[in-house]
Amino acid sequence: MSMLVLLLLPLIAAFIAPLLKPKAATYLSSITFLLPFFAIIGCMFYGCPAKIHLMTFSAPIGEFYLQLDMISHAFGLTICIVSAMIALYALPYMTHRFEEMELNVEREFRKYIFIFDLYAASMLWLVYSGNLVLLYVFLELMLITAFLLIYTYGYGNRKWVGLLYLLWCAVAGVLTLGGIVILAFDNSSLAFDVLMASGTVSMIAWAFIFFGMIIELPVLGPHIWLPWAHAEAPTPVSALLSPLTVGLAGYVLLRVALIDYSFIEEYRIPILIYAIISSIYGGFSVFKQTDFKRLLAYSTMSQMGYMLVALCLGPFGLIGLVIQYMSHAFGKSILFSSAGGVIVTHHGLRDITKMGGLHDSIPQISNAAVLGFLNLGGMLTIGMLGEFFILRGVVETFGISMASLPILLAVIFMFILSVWYGFYTIKKVFYGKPKDTKRLEISSYLYLPLYIIGIISVLLLFPPLSTALIDGLNAISGLGLGGVMP
Amino acid sequence: MNDWIFFLLLFLAPVISSIPIVLAYKDDKWTAKLPYLSVFGIFISVLMSLHIFFAMSGQYSYDWIPDLGINFVFMCDYLSRYMGVVTAVIAFFIAIYGLGYMKGDYRPSWYWFCFNLFTASMLLVVYSDNLFLLFVGWEGLGAASWGLIGHWFRDDDNIAYVGKAGRKVGPLEMSWAPSFGGWRAISTIRLGDVPMFLAIAAIWVLSPTLNISEIDWHTLFISLGAAGTIILMLLFLMGLFTKSAQVPFSEWLMTAMTGPTTVSALLHSATMVAAGAFVFLKLTWYIEPWTLHDVPGVEPIYLLVLFVGLISGLYGALCGTGMRERKVLLAASTMSSIGLMFAVGATSYWIDEEIAGMNWALLAAFWYMAIHAFAKASLFLVSGHLIHATHSRFLCGNFEFAKRMKPAFIVTILASIFLVGIPPFGAYWVKSMMDELKLHLWHHNDMILPIVLLIIISLVYAAVIAKFLSLNFIKGDKPEHEYVEGGGLMKLGYCLMVAVLFVLSYAIFKFEETQHFVHAGSESLSIIVGLSILVVFVAAIYKPQIKAFSSNIGMFFNDRMYLPFLNDYIVPKTGFFIAHLVQDYGNRAIDAFFNTKVMPGFFKAISRAIRAIQTGFLTTYVKIAIGFVLLILILASIGGMGL
Repeated sequence: MSMLVLLLLPLIAAFIAPLLKPKAATYLSSITFLLPFFAIIGCMFYGCPAKIHLMTFSAPIGEFYLQLDMISHAFGLTICIVSAMIALYALPYMTHRFEEMELNVEREFRKYIFIFDLYAASMLWLVYSGNLVLLYVFLELMLITAFLLIYTYGYGNRKWVGLLYLLWCAVAGVLTLGGIVILAFDNSSLAFDVLMASGTVSMIAWAFIFFGMIIELPVLGPHIWLPWAHAEAPTPVSALLSPLTVGLAGYVLLRVALIDYSFIEEYRIPILIYAIISSIYGGFSVFKQTDFKRLLAYSTMSQMGYMLVALCLGPFGLIGLVIQYMSHAFGKSILFSSAGGVIVTHHGLRDITKMGGLHDSIPQISNAAVLGFLNLGGMLTIGMLGEFFILRGVVETFGISMASLPILLAVIFMFILSVWYGFYTIKKVFYGKPKDTKRLEISSYLYLPLYIIGIISVLLLFPPLSTALIDGLNAISGLGLGGVMP
Repeated sequence: MNDWIFFLLLFLAPVISSIPIVLAYKDDKWTAKLPYLSVFGIFISVLMSLHIFFAMSGQYSYDWIPDLGINFVFMCDYLSRYMGVVTAVIAFFIAIYGLGYMKGDYRPSWYWFCFNLFTASMLLVVYSDNLFLLFVGWEGLGAASWGLIGHWFRDDDNIAYVGKAGRKVGPLEMSWAPSFGGWRAISTIRLGDVPMFLAIAAIWVLSPTLNISEIDWHTLFISLGAAGTIILMLLFLMGLFTKSAQVPFSEWLMTAMTGPTTVSALLHSATMVAAGAFVFLKLTWYIEPWTLHDVPGVEPIYLLVLFVGLISGLYGALCGTGMRERKVLLAASTMSSIGLMFAVGATSYWIDEEIAGMNWALLAAFWYMAIHAFAKASLFLVSGHLIHATHSRFLCGNFEFAKRMKPAFIVTILASIFLVGIPPFGAYWVKSMMDELKLHLWHHNDMILPIVLLIIISLVYAAVIAKFLSLNFIKGDKPEHEYVEGGGLMKLGYCLMVAVLFVLSYAIFKFEETQHFVHAGSESLSIIVGLSILVVFVAAIYKPQIKAFSSNIGMFFNDRMYLPFLNDYIVPKTGFFIAHLVQDYGNRAIDAFFNTKVMPGFFKAISRAIRAIQTGFLTTYVKIAIGFVLLILILASIGGMGL
């Protein structure tokens, strides 16, 4: 089967799943994401055509095609495995949510699974899009589907939060679109291969895309939509929104950076300082949160700062960015699901001040959360490689000297903070004097998928997976920036 | 060659053998039996390490990410072959002891998985030559130690705490729960790990290889210049100092005593704290600083390590004199010993003398590490048994009690005299070598402080260990509970452990490279120091508590010279103050601006203004129209005047 068919499967599933009962629909969705996952792994080892032609438009749009390089594979496999696992996780969770909202479970599930599948599939297609217009279409589809899920099934004042999310992302989207349009007129095509060949992105186009995408990412300032959206979305949606969606802004920036790195080189220092401040700011914000999901949202802000830092650090930083996306996605999907697990098993409990000692009642979820934070902190998981590449990028760019010391220390502190807040949270939520030492019987859907994500994140650190991944990424980043970088 | 199979078994056997108990976490019947499988996994590691010790040498390399120099490279040199056996054997004995000690625990799956992961990680640190691979093991140590120190996460048993509940010094309550101990450990360690990782990344940039034994350190340091070398090495040393709990990063080690005793024993003898000192020795082995006297920046680094080590040694020993908790006292003494290892290892910069191609200073430091490992592990295991038997973590036990706990008593005596440097037992010969090295510094480099500090540390150290012996078995209070039956596996564990000390002492006389220790032991200074240690040791056993001392200065030492204020007050207060600013001012202000107040208010105002116009009365619209006409006329007239 060609990659095209496999990538189409999730889109097709979105239309078939609503016809089925919840359990069957869940399995269908999960399997249609697992199949491309294995196909991508196969591609990593045995290779596959680098490009699948879809259709051709006249200038300035150019050719639509699927772009199957290692960067897309890296993002794609992350999206596939996380979506597949979260689809399984969502079965008991959303059932619980519908019951809580006093809706008809079976009917509501049909609507939900349709939007959910479309949402996840649009992200998958986004990373394989070989044309910026195609990419933008899926970007918007992703935003709208996520909006619908928050608006319909969220918590609290969900309608307000949904609109808030939509507005912010619309601003981000319009700015990006502006950049894309300028690019189109400069290059008379938006196909990546044409853009790569021309190798120029005008400063103004770059600026539009950059500002659009850092709202989406988000950085300090625009970040304020994120805690609302991530906290009030139904947890399976949070578990895609935070790990996968926001990071895709980093993906877009990476793609543009690979075409033309000059914007980043020109403004490297201000961007880097902003990114570091943003990340540290997010890290400190975590300590004061009382809502578990809001806490995780601020941690996302901190982690997205890493991605922006990585963007500024040359070829090694760009590889670091890709790996950072993966490790954050694995970690944060586990963590949001753990937060959801607490919500399901403890009657909507989200207030951290009322937690403590939860390990006794839900050890499976508590231990999964540890895996999640290990990913965020870059310990013993794929995140370690990401951290290593980013650190190498720092040294490559700034060197080791008295002059570079402030930047080195800032980056170091930025990385330290993740583990600090991570294990602090574990201690506050799961450890300490338990209120009840009785172990609860919980559905294995609520934790087994998380362990699968966790195990994959560990396996990705070791050969053969890491060998194939890094070699592939190395080839691309060297290709794109070989002549440009110092 | 199929050598990879040995390495694979060495590292993976402990981890894989503890997976069944994890999977069976729900079933109490299985979790009671499966620990034997986990111990068997460690036993396989012991066999592999012995195989490597006798049959393998040199470098073994297997591909990982070869294009970037990240590979599985194992080095079977003198240090790692010995240290590998030490680690595996100690872990195995402690595991046997743990079968008894951890019986009936509420979280056996977690304990055994972390314990075995801990062992495997340390073995990885010991054998790996590639810095990235080493760091994988290093992070494994960090994660597993967190799990083990905070093992009793329920914080419900006072026996697992450190410090006295309710006792306050200023605003601080001097009492720490297990869940807190775990967090303290990982947060301190992480403070050092990331700088170390950056240093490794920097070496990755500057050197064509990441293999410690192949890096051309001379060229590397020259290309960096003095400032660059110092920054690089300081970043690297941050990792080693935090892991090895040197001043001022020592607090985590004291609160780490909240973990099960088996964990303390492993943490303190052959893994974790020893890992920092071991990696320092391993690096120095290949940096060969004694050949780098022409390279700027190397001397300040070694001077720093020398004095950080000595100061930590003194700090740990002094704090130990005031301690009243069994394990915390031993923890302080460990910190002191590790400090000495750093200090002696750092002396190698000034010592250009070799035996069989090995630097004296490094050899002395390493042998001290080996003897200390077995002796300290024995003492810890005994104190674990005592905690079970007396149900108290404070020093207590009289001679009556000692008679009922004969094996523990004898093991403590043996471990103590082998450890503190009483002639002619074990550590005496190594310590004599240390004396000689520091003497060398005085004679050839005009540094008198190291030898003075070393002797003071040795004497205070002897007093601390003697206090442990005396207050637990001879002169202590009568324990409130005495439960001395059973504990067969525990006794077996520490008896095996202490037996190894005889083997090591024998080896010192037998091996070629340690012959010089024996020579050093017959020097007059060494004999004088050795006898003074004996006098202090006996005196401290006779009079373990000094009244004037125990009130004020003793409390000062017991409170670790108020270092907890740094960790429990200054750092968290600062951090939470920033978090408070960020959250309560930053986030609230931004939220109010964009989402809740200013921007929505602004749009609301515009909307209201526009809607206000639409009243439906004709007069309103006429007024607006006239207003516009007037405006145009005014503008036109202004424009006309301009013309």
